[in-house]
Amino acid sequence: MSTETASLVPSYVVFQVGTRRVALARDAVAELIASPILFTFPHTSPLITGVVLRRGRIVPVLDLAPGLLGAASPPARLFLVVERQTLTFSERCAIPVQGECELVAGVMLPGEPSDHYVSGRLELNEEKIDVLDLEKAIAAGVKHVEDSMVPAEVLQ
Amino acid sequence: MTAQHSSVEAPREARGREQVAVFSIAQFSFVLSAAAVQEIRSTDSLGGTVVDLDRHVMKKVRHIVERDGKAYYVVSGYEHFRQPQSRPTTVLILRNAPVAVLVDRIEEMAEMRVLLELPQSFRGEERMWYRGLTVLDRRVLPVANPLGFLSAGELQQLEEQNPGLLKSAATRGRERGRE
Repeated sequence: MSTETASLVPSYVVFQVGTRRVALARDAVAELIASPILFTFPHTSPLITGVVLRRGRIVPVLDLAPGLLGAASPPARLFLVVERQTLTFSERCAIPVQGECELVAGVMLPGEPSDHYVSGRLELNEEKIDVLDLEKAIAAGVKHVEDSMVPAEVLQ
Repeated sequence: MTAQHSSVEAPREARGREQVAVFSIAQFSFVLSAAAVQEIRSTDSLGGTVVDLDRHVMKKVRHIVERDGKAYYVVSGYEHFRQPQSRPTTVLILRNAPVAVLVDRIEEMAEMRVLLELPQSFRGEERMWYRGLTVLDRRVLPVANPLGFLSAGELQQLEEQNPGLLKSAATRGRERGRE
């Protein structure tokens, strides 16, 4: 592949949430941070496990595992800082990840229709990796938590 | 529709420096503007002036306390923040609302230098509970909204279910003061 062609191939950040390897478009990822102090306080927003302070900015920590795996992530040392783009706001959030992250270039193939939060699929060395639609993955997690929550439960 | 960029990315000094009380409930610490607090008392010193509500409209409010001819709904801090039962030893009597908040203890009085907006990803009741977040001694702490302990709707509900109780408690207190 020529350098010119390679620059046209989209790149993705592959990371692990719990036991599942997934990917996000490179453009959605800001940085990877290690061992930040997690600050917690009472709230009622599903998926948020706390906030971290990053260069004087408050970054909420959002666990994607409930939507992807049906259970919360194990304790994490690494956090992938991503840019959320909703209809009403954009904001940086940190996603707890397990293990190393990879930056890969590849062509995304159509995803499984059953996984509505999957935009497509990458094939890397015979491994199939789902590329997430971040907002849909968050919505799936929120729904999972709300469905399994007793009324008026508070998250910390 | 235009996306609203979160101001969390641009920390701001909302009103300059502010004196605050840092209090704790269960394992959490919170900040409350000192200007919002009329009085800080030990729960032991309120014995004779507490009146039970006729009807418990909400779990977090069970009593009225009278101080200096004014009456206040007593809000359980741990019930408000949906925490496991804690051991309140202190009551914060608020200045601009008929509310007294039970908290575990006062940790310190401090100066808050920055008030950061709560990130937009927080979508629940915490948007009412907190004015925002601050950083004190390298800790990120929520800044309690003094008007969030009892909303206007909750105050109305309490008054409707316990008509005149707040007023009569205040009147009794004033009469006692004149004796």
